[in-house]
Amino acid sequence: MKKEHFLLPLLVILIWQGFSSLQVIPSYKLPSPLEIILGFKDLLIIGVPPGNLLHNHMLYSLYRVFLGYAIAALLAIPLGLLMGWSPVLLRTTRSLFEVVRPIPPLAWIPIAILWFGIGIKSAAFIIFLGAFFPILLNTISGVLSIQPILVEAARTLHAKEKDIFLKVLLPGAVPSIFVGMRIGIGIGWMTLVAAEFTGVKEGYGLGYMIMTARDIQRPDEILAGMLVIGVIGLLIDIGLRTAESKTIKWQ
Amino acid sequence: MKKIILPFLVSLLIFVTAAHGQPVRIAYLQSDIHQLPCWVALEKGFFEKEGVKVEVAGIFKAGPELMSAFAAGALDVGYVGVAPATTAVANKTAKVVVLAQVNTEGSAIVVKKDGKVQSIPELVGKVAVVPGHATVQDSLFRKALLKFKTQPDQVKIMVLKPPEMIGALRTDQIDAFIAWEPYPAKAVTTGVGRVLATSRDIWKDHPCCVLAADERFLGAHLEKAKAFVRSHVKAVDLICQHREEAIKVGVKYTGMDEASVRLAMENVNYTPILSVEGEKEYVEFLTKLKYIKVEDVQIFVDRFMRPEFVKEIIKR
Amino acid sequence: MSLDFLDLSKTFPGRGLEDGVHVLDQISCQIEDGRFVSIVGPSGCGKTTLLRIIAGLEKASTGRVLLDGAELLQGSEAIGLVFQEYALFPWRTTLQNIEMGPEIRGMDKEKRRTKAMEYVTMFDLTGFEHRYPRELSGGMKQRVAIARTLIMNPGVVLMDEPFGSLDSQTRNGLQEFLLGIWGRRRDTILFVTHNVDEAVFLSDQIIVLSKRPARIVKTFEVGLQRPRDRTGYECNEIRREVLKVLSEETK
Repeated sequence: MKKEHFLLPLLVILIWQGFSSLQVIPSYKLPSPLEIILGFKDLLIIGVPPGNLLHNHMLYSLYRVFLGYAIAALLAIPLGLLMGWSPVLLRTTRSLFEVVRPIPPLAWIPIAILWFGIGIKSAAFIIFLGAFFPILLNTISGVLSIQPILVEAARTLHAKEKDIFLKVLLPGAVPSIFVGMRIGIGIGWMTLVAAEFTGVKEGYGLGYMIMTARDIQRPDEILAGMLVIGVIGLLIDIGLRTAESKTIKWQ
Repeated sequence: MKKIILPFLVSLLIFVTAAHGQPVRIAYLQSDIHQLPCWVALEKGFFEKEGVKVEVAGIFKAGPELMSAFAAGALDVGYVGVAPATTAVANKTAKVVVLAQVNTEGSAIVVKKDGKVQSIPELVGKVAVVPGHATVQDSLFRKALLKFKTQPDQVKIMVLKPPEMIGALRTDQIDAFIAWEPYPAKAVTTGVGRVLATSRDIWKDHPCCVLAADERFLGAHLEKAKAFVRSHVKAVDLICQHREEAIKVGVKYTGMDEASVRLAMENVNYTPILSVEGEKEYVEFLTKLKYIKVEDVQIFVDRFMRPEFVKEIIKR
Repeated sequence: MSLDFLDLSKTFPGRGLEDGVHVLDQISCQIEDGRFVSIVGPSGCGKTTLLRIIAGLEKASTGRVLLDGAELLQGSEAIGLVFQEYALFPWRTTLQNIEMGPEIRGMDKEKRRTKAMEYVTMFDLTGFEHRYPRELSGGMKQRVAIARTLIMNPGVVLMDEPFGSLDSQTRNGLQEFLLGIWGRRRDTILFVTHNVDEAVFLSDQIIVLSKRPARIVKTFEVGLQRPRDRTGYECNEIRREVLKVLSEETK
């Protein structure tokens, strides 16, 4: 974390606080940084709705996202490897995926509720849809981008199809798989708030928390909640990047 | 000189007529039979007859959303629940005042017909939905629980928009819902649910929807506001005197069948008279729930409620 | 092992209405066991195609290849191929690249580690066994590639311009290195190059191919003792003759 990373955000916050203190920006439209910090304190101690504290909202949301994301990764990576490996499979399944992919996850919400009811299953499904396609497409591209000469080299070492799949395609596709996983978790986390609009039975979730803050007209808490979501998203991305650099030492 | 004066006068004229001709931006809640006076006034042209042009700037799924539109400066007048309006004003996101009552009562708690829950205490551990936090229904529901010696945190209270509630009840996703009419009536007429308690059972004569106006609009166009309230009172009168006509308007604006609308309207009491005492109770209740913090209840209510508008009209 | 080519021809099918590309034209010759044989010819004449057919990466249109008198089967374990572009697996260390062949064959971990380390030493790669290809110089990478092929003890080693992308210093060093190793093992080597100096320095026999479609124009025996003097009289003589034949072909 270098000093330059903090310079611009700090400047923005100072100017913002200045405008708010001078009432140039009305507080109900955009709370000042100080008010947001106080709102954050309320989220931690009092909770929104009162009694539901921030750390629980975070835990439930993280659980939902990782559930949907894990299923997406477990399905997309093997499927992507197979589709990259077999041109026949790729050709036959491609059109199906290309039709489904552009449908925004949020458009699935009514159907998700019909199929999975209100609660974690439909939320996880929405997040699954957001994460699945980036992981799938990047995995396929990872396999297709492996230099053919490496496959030939393996053949000259008498590799059978199974060996080529496990010893060449899979390790060769790993960098692209990681890219897909990072994009996938990014989209999955972003879809979270909307996914929680399908209904949150347990009463906990960051999206639900923001929606409630809106209901009780607390824009300071809304913004504090948004920042929490943003910071968590950042931390998740940093975590994946670190895992990536530890795993892929060869690039 | 003439070259400057003439265009200037023309612009001034355009500006003045435009300002005068600016329609009043109004909003109401989707399929909420409480807001029937608004629909009647629109259908029968009462606003035009009072010389006021109106434009429907928004139809919302619940009160808090409508209040957000006020906060954004997108509305001049709104038909909305008094609880979300109170919350918004107390939390200083919207600057509105209440000019008239729209209705009292008119909500109900609905459970599955022949279901497991047949009384309020049986809701412990079950899932119940409200249209939003800090709505009138949210407050009513919690009051109902307390009245029957049940703690609200023993019930899983969820938020769902009223159009989704009947379907969720039918498929057993939820065990109970509370919503404004005609949703409870519709649940009954379609055989999905039965009414566990009406809002009358929970809190007799409780104020529900009100006519709220943006303070800036009120300051700039006082006469228009008065004309608006006059139209509103006329509409309420029509509903009371010509039931059948009113039902037809209700069917048109809710899109529901006549039987449901008729049943719904039996549970609603339309009146333009404000209940200041009722409002005080809301303020205290919302404060207890920690949704708002109000230092002086009397001062707040005096600023928020303007019963003089309706009193002036009824006197005549 | 010895190799026999009998009327080997290859035509690549044309696309659409285009004519096919006739690459090899009735190649017949014999490569004796234990000999270092170079193939030289104009660019694009089909030298690489010839190697790929023997390695099993392409199929001949007509003709046969015999290994020790018996029909050479596609994917035969007796053939090894070293590519010009190294074709090292970037996600594997030096050691892991070298042990790829034995790993595919199913040799157990201990044994193949030991064997691979032998070759690390043999190929002067000590200290670099845990480095990744991106950390190695061109010369080192080619040594790894050759080690990876030789560890399989193929009956015939095919080399497709293996030193083509290296600077002349490194190339000369590697030529001497290769001769050193070959001197001890006496594999049958079929070495494709466009560099006549190299062919003269290394080989027992030089086969000159015509331009496309390739036929064998002339075969030279190089009976000189090793180590040879690159700039010496004998080498220059042979070089001159080979170049003369080649220049006829490139007119």
